[in-house]
Amino acid sequence: MPRGKKSKLRAHEKSHQAQEEPENLVGVQATEGVREEFRSSSSLPLKSLPAAGSYSNPQGPQRATSTATTTAAVSYTRSNEGAKDQVEERPRSSQAQPITEPFHRGPLDEKVVTLVHYLLYKYKMKEPITKADMLRKVIQMHRNHFHQILKRASEHLELVFGLDMKEVDPNRHIYILVNKLEGSYDGRLSDDRGVPKTGLLMTVLGVIFTKGNCATEEQVWQTLNVIGLYEGRKHFIFGEPRKLITKDLVKENYLEYRQVPNSDPACYEFLWGPRAHAETSKMKVLEFLAKVHNTVPSAFPFWYEEALRDEEERARARAAATAHTAATASAHSSAMARAHSRAMDGACSRAMASSSSHL
Amino acid sequence: MTSNHTSVPSYMQGSTRRVGIMTDVHRRFLQLLMTHGVLEEWDVKRLQKHCYKVHDCNATVEKLEDFINNINSVLESLYIEIKKGVTEDDGRPIYALVNLATTSVSKMASDFAENELDLFRKALELIIDSETGFASSTNILNLVDQLKGKKMRKKEAEQVLQKFVQHKWLVEKEGEFTLHCRAILEMEQYIRETYPDAVKVCNICHSLLIQGQSCETCGIKMHLPCVAKYFQSNSEPRCPHCNDYWPHEIPEVFDPEKEREAGISKSNKKPLRSRQH
Repeated sequence: MPRGKKSKLRAHEKSHQAQEEPENLVGVQATEGVREEFRSSSSLPLKSLPAAGSYSNPQGPQRATSTATTTAAVSYTRSNEGAKDQVEERPRSSQAQPITEPFHRGPLDEKVVTLVHYLLYKYKMKEPITKADMLRKVIQMHRNHFHQILKRASEHLELVFGLDMKEVDPNRHIYILVNKLEGSYDGRLSDDRGVPKTGLLMTVLGVIFTKGNCATEEQVWQTLNVIGLYEGRKHFIFGEPRKLITKDLVKENYLEYRQVPNSDPACYEFLWGPRAHAETSKMKVLEFLAKVHNTVPSAFPFWYEEALRDEEERARARAAATAHTAATASAHSSAMARAHSRAMDGACSRAMASSSSHL
Repeated sequence: MTSNHTSVPSYMQGSTRRVGIMTDVHRRFLQLLMTHGVLEEWDVKRLQKHCYKVHDCNATVEKLEDFINNINSVLESLYIEIKKGVTEDDGRPIYALVNLATTSVSKMASDFAENELDLFRKALELIIDSETGFASSTNILNLVDQLKGKKMRKKEAEQVLQKFVQHKWLVEKEGEFTLHCRAILEMEQYIRETYPDAVKVCNICHSLLIQGQSCETCGIKMHLPCVAKYFQSNSEPRCPHCNDYWPHEIPEVFDPEKEREAGISKSNKKPLRSRQH
């Protein structure tokens, strides 16, 4: 797109924006088209990309072209509920011609898209989402429209990705994204069976770690109470928490629950289970804790040192494992090969991690 | 220009439309592709079949290319895309869900500290400027004092680099770092814009080049898989630009069938390719 045209469009959009901002609040819907040019918010340190029109990459032999060159209209089908029609339209001419009419898109639309990206990123990282973070990193100056933006973003997530936003902690406004598709809880390729539990599990692992790798049941409950989970009180996502932490998570080898030796009356304590050691690490749990407290792991120097030492040990164990399996690779070629192939399957790398932790 | 109803602007009526339909099959596919970050083609096909099995077992599995184009037409308005690429070292086709609107580094920005982002930028610059496409750990760590934001110790920087590896932005090989294939998919546009003079481009496919072979006479560069395809069954390979004899070993074209049948791990294969320049 010739430079002159682009800046003309920008100037046009800017002047429109000044007049239209208050009106956008009322009428904006998810059905309004999204404009081709997308500006990133000013606080992000790096330049955003220019108009999507310049996106059509040169068609080398390795690229699959997936860009629509004509106007795309889209409809969603919800398999459970009745068909709901949402039509999103974009003026998009082929060969990167300039847009003939500025199909107006307000600043809120941009925020919705940015928020969708942010939420998807958090989903991928299996991290909880706080309202504070959303406001600070994405919404910024549009604080007054937080709920509206969040609602629209949630709609997109639901319709396109089958993900639901659930408020886990109404006091501290912490959310998680949950897979709402039926029948998705299955073995191999499913990577997020633990998504609803993950925040809870990380919290419990954090308590255990920070209490010297062993926490009494009382200490664990103290923390869970703070986030609104109480013994005997059923939670709409986690169910009854005591059963979850003393039975379900123990059965899945994430936690160990045992009687404190020589305790009378009997009292109990929690430790990390073997699967927790395999699937996460002290450093990761510390990172989670740091995030929740809005800081960085090195702010807890004592635990940070311990987590660093743990990372070093793991690196050593990994190196030893590679040497060991390389030696036996010729003997057990196909079995070992599957474990060390370059498949990026998450389940595969977990299997590797658990086998190396047994060395 | 407020509207409480959706009306199609007149200039849009009558133009060709492509309808994309999202069902639970597509949604589950997206969830899992996202969770894995980047997947090789055969994994993607397996994933697709799995999603059909779970969510619509009676339907015929759509051809992968159409399936993906369908999903992409829906993702377009969210500035997200399932992008296909090829690994630079051995030509494996890969797929990843990428952000189009803002660059991935600024997406990273939402969750990395200022000094961590700057460390990534420094590593990226070293990688782009390097001859081999790799930057040594030592060279990256030596830049720790120049980072913006909170002061970072070298030990901490090592951890941060590992974090980048975990998040599939970087890949480590024998103490040296290069870009993960997913990072290349996501960041190509950003890199080409930010470093227009330093960036290398493949003479064959014209895409961003981090690792590859170069002509010793005229300096043009080619990706290893591009070399493999271009010189396939050519006993006398010559530079496409200056016609001089091509001095490097020609890699094999990636064959997914051969790979699966053999079931041999990469470590067992005779090394046919090396980082040559």
